[in-house]
Amino acid sequence: MGEESIIRKVVVPNRQGLHARPANMFVKVALQYQSQVEIARDGLTVSGKSILDVMTLAAEQGTELTIIVTGPDAETAANALVEVVRRFVEEDEEEGE
Amino acid sequence: MKFADFISVKAIKPELASKDKEAVIRELAGSLVASGDIMEDSAESIIKAILKREELGSTGIGRGIAVPHTKHPSVEKLVGTVGVSTEGVDFNSLDGESVHLFFLLVSPPDRPGDHLRALENISRQLRDDMFCKFLKQSKSVEDIKTLLDEADNNQFGS
Amino acid sequence: MRVLQGIAVSPGVAIAKAMVVDDQQPRVTRRFISRANVDAELKRLSGAMDLVAEQIQASQDEVAVELGDQYGAIFSAHLQMVRDEKLNESLIDSIRYRHYTAEYAVSQSFARYIQFFERVPNPFLRERAGDFRDIEQRLLNVLFGADAKKKLAAKQPSIVLANDLTPSEMANLDRVNIRGIVTEVGGPGSHSAIVAEALELPAVVGVGANLRDIQTDTMLIIDGHQGRVIVSPDEETIARYEKEVEQQRQTKIRLRGLRDLPAITTDGETITLMANIEFPHEADACIERGASGVGLYRTEFLYLGQDCEPTEEDHYQVYAKVIRDMQGSPIVIRTLDLGADKIFGEDHPPEQNPFLGLRSIRLSLRNTDQFRRQLRAILRASVLGDVSVMFPLVSTLHELRQAKMLLSDLMEDLEEQSIAFNRDLKVGIMVEVPSSVVMLDRFAREIDFISIGTNDLVQYTLAVDRNNPDVAALYNSCDPAVLRLIQMAADSAQKAKIDVTLCGQMGGNPVYTMLLIGMGLRSLSVTPSAIPEIKQICRTVSTEKCRELAARVRDMDNAWEIKRLLREHLRQLFPDEA
Repeated sequence: MGEESIIRKVVVPNRQGLHARPANMFVKVALQYQSQVEIARDGLTVSGKSILDVMTLAAEQGTELTIIVTGPDAETAANALVEVVRRFVEEDEEEGE
Repeated sequence: MKFADFISVKAIKPELASKDKEAVIRELAGSLVASGDIMEDSAESIIKAILKREELGSTGIGRGIAVPHTKHPSVEKLVGTVGVSTEGVDFNSLDGESVHLFFLLVSPPDRPGDHLRALENISRQLRDDMFCKFLKQSKSVEDIKTLLDEADNNQFGS
Repeated sequence: MRVLQGIAVSPGVAIAKAMVVDDQQPRVTRRFISRANVDAELKRLSGAMDLVAEQIQASQDEVAVELGDQYGAIFSAHLQMVRDEKLNESLIDSIRYRHYTAEYAVSQSFARYIQFFERVPNPFLRERAGDFRDIEQRLLNVLFGADAKKKLAAKQPSIVLANDLTPSEMANLDRVNIRGIVTEVGGPGSHSAIVAEALELPAVVGVGANLRDIQTDTMLIIDGHQGRVIVSPDEETIARYEKEVEQQRQTKIRLRGLRDLPAITTDGETITLMANIEFPHEADACIERGASGVGLYRTEFLYLGQDCEPTEEDHYQVYAKVIRDMQGSPIVIRTLDLGADKIFGEDHPPEQNPFLGLRSIRLSLRNTDQFRRQLRAILRASVLGDVSVMFPLVSTLHELRQAKMLLSDLMEDLEEQSIAFNRDLKVGIMVEVPSSVVMLDRFAREIDFISIGTNDLVQYTLAVDRNNPDVAALYNSCDPAVLRLIQMAADSAQKAKIDVTLCGQMGGNPVYTMLLIGMGLRSLSVTPSAIPEIKQICRTVSTEKCRELAARVRDMDNAWEIKRLLREHLRQLFPDEA
């Protein structure tokens, strides 16, 4: 109790936004940590360990998200989660050769 | 990664005496022993490992430059040195040219990323013709050190 | 007769009776249980959840095997949804405190999410309502005791009509009798579209609410080229489309007959025809079309289809699958060929001129951790078959040497770890920048083969972006400058006795086949579907005729005249078909 939260801001990088598959990646990582994970946009805060909650943020490309992590492994969890969001890549790009 | 992070100034050889591949590797490794960067009793096994790596494909990457390297458990951090041969050495380079400029690197086995980043830095700097030219013309440890420092401070292109 | 217009997402024509799938949904009524039955109901719910989780897992495995992992990935997300603690809490609370039946609890909980997504303004995210409907449907089917698998079994040749097909419905599609797919909603990015294309089924999506008036067993024509659905067509229309279906079938059969015949010219020169592929499952199409190998295995899908960078094992698994499926034929794996923006997203500052920027081999040499993973996987896979590695967009010798040095480093690592690899792995470059053509005599000393990538070679030679409508007309594979560079590359490679293949789109276009043979090329790598047609041309011409044509072209200086001449020659070859 009384633990400080780690707060990180990230921007959704991929064109298709935070849909089912990226949300799945995020939650899978969040579930690996003991800390409580919350994720917020525009004043709406939801659990970062619930894929349904994360999806209901309906975060599009460019949306700024705030990740709030509270607990014993907050620092590592926050770093890992920021990394996950950064690694969302496009799924709808053409190729060139 | 900057040159200053891994090049041992005390081990720099501005005028290499050796005339063939194995001798150059021995001379540069010997210089790292003398400077205290690698232990004397590991030297032979490091030299063997570098030669073995050369068999898989020469590290002579063209334009008179070679980057012989290996991983070895006896070092705790990436160490390296620079050697210049005025005459040039047949290093079985990819372009068939003789080599004038050597960067010898030894990295700890558990940190393969370090030695790659060093190689990446070397490759990037060596793309600059002026840097290569000046290095090959260097006659003293001081000359080489100054050039490496300038490269670290982005005074060369690309 | 009525014609409905939708979005064409997968080509082809089919004529069959409609099979409407949406009217089979079980109805959920507002019902309650007694306090005494709460525990039993909770048990029923958790049993259903477990069973659905199993079903989803099975779908994921099945789809991953048939179409590749990236199609299966959606089910991993579905599994996460079923196990979601918030969802489970809400379901359990509804049963325990409000005494809802499990069915009613499910339908209430999911309705909230579905309604929410239906109102999201972003069209792609809005389509995610389908994911929730899919899981809800699976749960209700289990709770009602219905058999989800039975749903899309068709007793006769049918065209499936649905509001939208959920991923699990797509996975359970009857492969024998389903001839086409039509949906009310959805766009080119929907699961229905992606899977239909992979299954080579004609499909039209986004037809709209009009679709609801159509009853099962109504006669339909689906025109996947035009995005049209023709309801109760008249005899004349049926006859016209039947003719088209018959033509499609005839061409397919005729070309299939070529499968086991060699691509050999009338004067006995063998032309090697290989395939360009991207997804692992395309190996089947290669075998079916008689490809003598994979001349270009693109690996970008590993980066684009996933939500994070692929691991070494991800690489290895897809390489191993294709090597196995290709049954010993040669396979050329091309390392990552993308721009930095596609990999790093917003972490990478926008480039003024990305096609001249940090991409392909340049990106790999900068991002060595990623490059190492890919090369290690290729080395490990090199013992499973006839594997070569190819670097894209090489513009200087230095880049090639750096890449080769990294490859040797990895060989050393593997040797130390006693992991098998082929020490003589063949290394090649994609020739697609004029600088590499000019320097090819020097490159040739240090590589085993080249592959001419004409798409980029045209773009970089003529300095034309073909996606820019203002200059697209300048993009022309027949431009004499481009042809000279191709000739130079082929000559240099032959002089240095290294293998040369042409793998750009030019190779798959019948117009150029005679010219390319005449220029001395003996190996082409093309999209699998183009192989039979190109083979047919090879079997009809003589190298002498082709050389004469190439000589005439060499004397010409105008791209449009060259193209006209090539078309004319093709028409002379097959007078019936033009």
